[in-house]
Amino acid sequence: MTDDLDGAVLLARAHRPADDWKDAIHEACAPLLDAGAITDTYPARCVALVEEHGPYIVLAPGIALAHARPEDGVRQLAVAVVTLEDAVTFGHDDNDPVDLVFAFGSPDADQHVGLLSSLAGHLLAGLADRLRAADDDAAIQRVLEEVRHVP
Amino acid sequence: MSTRPEPLKVLTVCGVGMGSSLMLRMSVEEVLKKLGVTAKVEATDVSSARGMQADVIVGQGLHTEEFEGKAPVVVGISNFMDKEGLERQLTEAFQAEGWME
Repeated sequence: MTDDLDGAVLLARAHRPADDWKDAIHEACAPLLDAGAITDTYPARCVALVEEHGPYIVLAPGIALAHARPEDGVRQLAVAVVTLEDAVTFGHDDNDPVDLVFAFGSPDADQHVGLLSSLAGHLLAGLADRLRAADDDAAIQRVLEEVRHVP
Repeated sequence: MSTRPEPLKVLTVCGVGMGSSLMLRMSVEEVLKKLGVTAKVEATDVSSARGMQADVIVGQGLHTEEFEGKAPVVVGISNFMDKEGLERQLTEAFQAEGWME
C-alpha cells in the first residue's frame, strides 16, 4: 500500500478560475492531463457521471471529489486538487458552494484504495483548510504531498 | 426489536462505488469502532447495492432514499467528515432497532 502512495501522481494548483461546476471539474483534471496520468476523454466522463448520478461527489461542505472509471482513460494512479478563485455550485442540497475540487483516476478497481483512505484520513484531520490557505502552486503542492504519509 | 447481527454487514454507497463511498467507509468504520460495534463495511455503487443484502446502508441522501425499508437501518448523510453527526444518526437508528442500549 505504501508503494502505491510513493508512485502516485499528486498535483495541486491554487486559485484557479472556473465558470461553473463542469469547468471546475475540468480545472481539477487539467494537471492530471498535463502529466499524462489520464487521457483527454477522462474529464468529460467525470462530468457525465455527475449528470448521471447527481452531485453526490460533493462529499462535504465546499469539497468535491471528481472521478470516472478506470476504463474511462486512466494511465496511472493520480490525485489532483485545485482551489477555486470563486466557488461554484453543484446543485447539492447541503454542501454548496464548492471551492475545493479533487480529481482522481485509478488504473483499476483497487489501486486507489490506499491513496483515498489516506486522503480521507487527512481530510478528517483538517487537510481541506490547509489546502485552502495555500497561496500559490508550490505551497498547495507541499500540503497535498502530506497525503503520501498515511495518518 | 431484534438482536444486532455480529458482525454487522454495512454497505456505503455512491454513484460509481470508487470515491465517495470509499471515503464514507473510512468514517463509518471509525464511528462503529468507537461505538464498539463489530462490522464488515463494504463500499459499492448504488446499482450493485440493489442486489445485495445488508444490515445497514449509508450514503448521501439522494442515493439512500430508494433503500428505505430494504435494510433494517438506512442512514442518509451529506457530510462524510461530520463524524459526530454520523455517530448520532447510527446510534439513534441502532437504538430504534434494539441493537444498542
